Amino acid sequence: MTQSQFTRQELLRRGLAGSALLTVPGLLAACGGGSKSSAGTTTAAGTQKMAKTLHFSNWTLYIDVNNKTKSHPSLQGFQKKYGTHVDYIEDINDNASYFGKIQGALSRGQSIGRDIVVLTDNDRYLSLMIKKGWAEKLDRSAIPNIKNLVEVQRHPTFDPNREYSLPWQSGMTGIAYNDTLTGPVLSVTDLLENPKLKGKITVLNSMGDALTIVMLANGDDPTKVTDKSFNAAFNRIKKAVDSKQIRQFTGNDYAPSLAKGDLAAAMSWSGDIAQIGNPHIHWNVPKDGGALWTDNMLIPKGGNVYTASVYMNYVYDPAVMGLMEAGDPKKNITGIYYIPPVIGAKAAALKLDPSVANNQLIFPSAETLSKVHLFDSAALNNQKYLQQWQNLISG
Amino acid sequence: MTTLAVPARLRAGGAANVWAFVRRHVLAFYAALFFLYLLLPIGVVIVFSFNQPVGKFNYTWHKFTFDNWRYWNGVPGIQSAITLSLEIAALASVIATVLGTLIALALVRYGFRGRGVTNLLIFLPLSTPEIVMGASLLTLFLNLNFVFGFWTILIAHVMFCISFAVVSVKARLIGFDRHLEEAAMDLGANEWVTFQKVTLPLIAPAILAALLLCFAVSVDDFVVTYFNSGSEVTFPLFVWGAARIGAPPQVNVIGSAIFIIALTAMLLNVAVQTRRAKGAVTE
Amino acid sequence: MPYVLLAPGLAFLGVFFLVPLGFLAYQSLESGNIDFGYAFTWSWGNYGSAFTDYRPEFVRSIEYAGIATILALVLSYPVAYWIAFRGGRWKNLLLLMIVAPFFVTYLIRTLAWETILSDNGTVVRILQHLHLVSPGGHILATGTAVIAGITYNFLPFMALPLYVSLEQVDQRLVEAAQDLYASSWKAFWRVTVPLSLPGVVAGTLLTFIPAAGDFINAQLLGAPQNHMIGNVIQSKFLELTDYPAAAAMSFILMGAIIVAVAAYARAVGTEQLSGTAV
Repeated sequence: MTQSQFTRQELLRRGLAGSALLTVPGLLAACGGGSKSSAGTTTAAGTQKMAKTLHFSNWTLYIDVNNKTKSHPSLQGFQKKYGTHVDYIEDINDNASYFGKIQGALSRGQSIGRDIVVLTDNDRYLSLMIKKGWAEKLDRSAIPNIKNLVEVQRHPTFDPNREYSLPWQSGMTGIAYNDTLTGPVLSVTDLLENPKLKGKITVLNSMGDALTIVMLANGDDPTKVTDKSFNAAFNRIKKAVDSKQIRQFTGNDYAPSLAKGDLAAAMSWSGDIAQIGNPHIHWNVPKDGGALWTDNMLIPKGGNVYTASVYMNYVYDPAVMGLMEAGDPKKNITGIYYIPPVIGAKAAALKLDPSVANNQLIFPSAETLSKVHLFDSAALNNQKYLQQWQNLISG
Repeated sequence: MTTLAVPARLRAGGAANVWAFVRRHVLAFYAALFFLYLLLPIGVVIVFSFNQPVGKFNYTWHKFTFDNWRYWNGVPGIQSAITLSLEIAALASVIATVLGTLIALALVRYGFRGRGVTNLLIFLPLSTPEIVMGASLLTLFLNLNFVFGFWTILIAHVMFCISFAVVSVKARLIGFDRHLEEAAMDLGANEWVTFQKVTLPLIAPAILAALLLCFAVSVDDFVVTYFNSGSEVTFPLFVWGAARIGAPPQVNVIGSAIFIIALTAMLLNVAVQTRRAKGAVTE
Repeated sequence: MPYVLLAPGLAFLGVFFLVPLGFLAYQSLESGNIDFGYAFTWSWGNYGSAFTDYRPEFVRSIEYAGIATILALVLSYPVAYWIAFRGGRWKNLLLLMIVAPFFVTYLIRTLAWETILSDNGTVVRILQHLHLVSPGGHILATGTAVIAGITYNFLPFMALPLYVSLEQVDQRLVEAAQDLYASSWKAFWRVTVPLSLPGVVAGTLLTFIPAAGDFINAQLLGAPQNHMIGNVIQSKFLELTDYPAAAAMSFILMGAIIVAVAAYARAVGTEQLSGTAV
């Protein structure tokens, strides 16, 4: 493609408000010339400028929100402090389909128009992005607050020195049930094999989540997956599919069906239930243990490294994280209600909403944490397992 | 005697009358049920657009409110989504109608080699599953290193709208009276003027119909757009994402609004056409 | 002259419809995966494995689309007949009423069905009363809901072509048959129906083909057991990033369609192709 073609395209694009910002970095990247980051940065330290806009893709219901104005106080605070507007887009529904959408551009060296995306560590895409070089290195000099990162998150297997990623939130996977439709559903056996729940339950479509929980119920160790333990868990789930016990495999779209009363119970994520706000819906870590996962922030290739890094630093300020986590009931602000990775967030949250600070789902005790486990990351990349799993969930 | 015969005749006639009545109107009755079935989901959508739901999920009726209509853009992202959809639909329908009208003119007015292939090429997009069209366009754009966004969506929409435009205009062109054009040319007008002053006004309704059809198809498209939108969000894509966590009532509001506006436009079209037909008759 | 008129539109279609299909064909013969890249290896095996691995889904797609098409035909024919023969001045308005519901976004319509067919909703409760649904049973997440959704969403594609061909039936032929002592039923079956056959075929094609490739109804209204080939293609493209397999499957679907369309074109001539939808 020639230079002139791009200039013409660029002019046409600028004539259409709203598209210009997203495509200019893409143009430069696709052209193969120009810097990899969008306008406003240089590599020399000290002369860096913040971009006008930070494009941030995230999962739904994953940030503090003012229920009346629908705005996000923490993002407004960021804009006030640094002058950069955050274009916050909630377009991530599950790791696989989001990755599938962006991989085309990334594999051809094009920017996807985002500075930060958030992917989960119990799925293969996070490590895949880093392995394939599709993530930019963080500007650590702009993130002094990284010292507040909790100890247990400092050296994950997919990014041992935290060069490419930083945790956004952690969460637990367990079982939610609707007490108007069923008695307590507290174990995998109940969920998958109780005939009273036939056709009224869902299981997560994420292999890492579903298999961790079922393996624990089988007495196997999810951090060391073998063919034997995989097959045992897989077949148990398959049996529930064939018997029509499992109604559907879902991402976070179990929430509407749970609220509607079409589901009696669902394998679900800890924070979602708090956000549904229905007192009849209860969430528990399963009897034999649940899963622990962490969503990580990444800067995709072509994103503005400096601005993204400054944002990450902002978020790792305990006061900010405390606000994001707890919200502020007095001002009708709902918080994230997942597990923050920042030391000191609990103390900050306590000041805003004491009930949140003592909530086991948000600030779990050591005892609760001992009941949730990670998934073997090698198994996440095993083609055989992946193919089998995909066949199961797509029928 | 007569007093006995009449009731007997009436009785037999009465049963036959009822049966005749039923037979005459069973189709109408059935049609009424049919339309009820068609409009049921639409009714649900419109009714629930006035609902003030408890919590996030708009599935059970709670309270009547005008708030959703008043603050239709109160949901972040919904306004930019519908704006984008409308922009793309407007542009795509104009481009597709222009290209399609040209093709229709060629098909109806001229004999040429390759008619069969052209007809086939027009029909294929109408009958290709959307997922195949979306996926193959995705492959093309990836291989040509296009950046996904407004332009890829626009190209995709023009592509599948052309066929609709051709079919719309062609139908009207076939019934077109060539004598009017010949008369104009006999009176000294050249081809271009004839086209401008005679042909174009007469096929204008068909072009309008093509525009409306393309517009409707474009605003509604989900599958092809899903594959080729990159990070842009059109209204159907927005609905898809929102539905997973509970679509807010504003989605119903916009859906209802599109329905009402389109319905009004079509009703006007029908009224104008009826008026025209009447006018032509009374002349 | 005609070529000048044709050129821009056909060129556009050529570049953005045919060429992509070509790329897809190329991709269907590749092999590899996202981790290590793809390479063109004349991998005809992709087609073979697509057939064997996903035969249930192929069969199910044809089954669901077929049932939905027949249902649409049975449901729409009387209405198309009524509008064509008894519509009078109201024809245009009635046609409008058939098309109008489809101005609401496809997804919103399908989601409305999710509400209507909800387990605790009125419809399911009535059906449970009538013993058509077992107590505590559900319609959503079954094949029934998927077929119902497909039928509803493609009704105008069946109704409109039916109307067009029924409207063109010369009433005098029907009268002539009745003059020759045929009952109205017989006249209908022997005269009207055969004359409306082009509409039936067109409607069938326009309904069955997109229905077979649909995945939204299956995703929103069905369970994993109800997934159609469209769902598999979607997951292969966007989630598994197994492009060669997905491309091969798309082509198998396309191949079946082209065969059907070619047969139809043979029978009624290609002119009907660009004049059938209206």
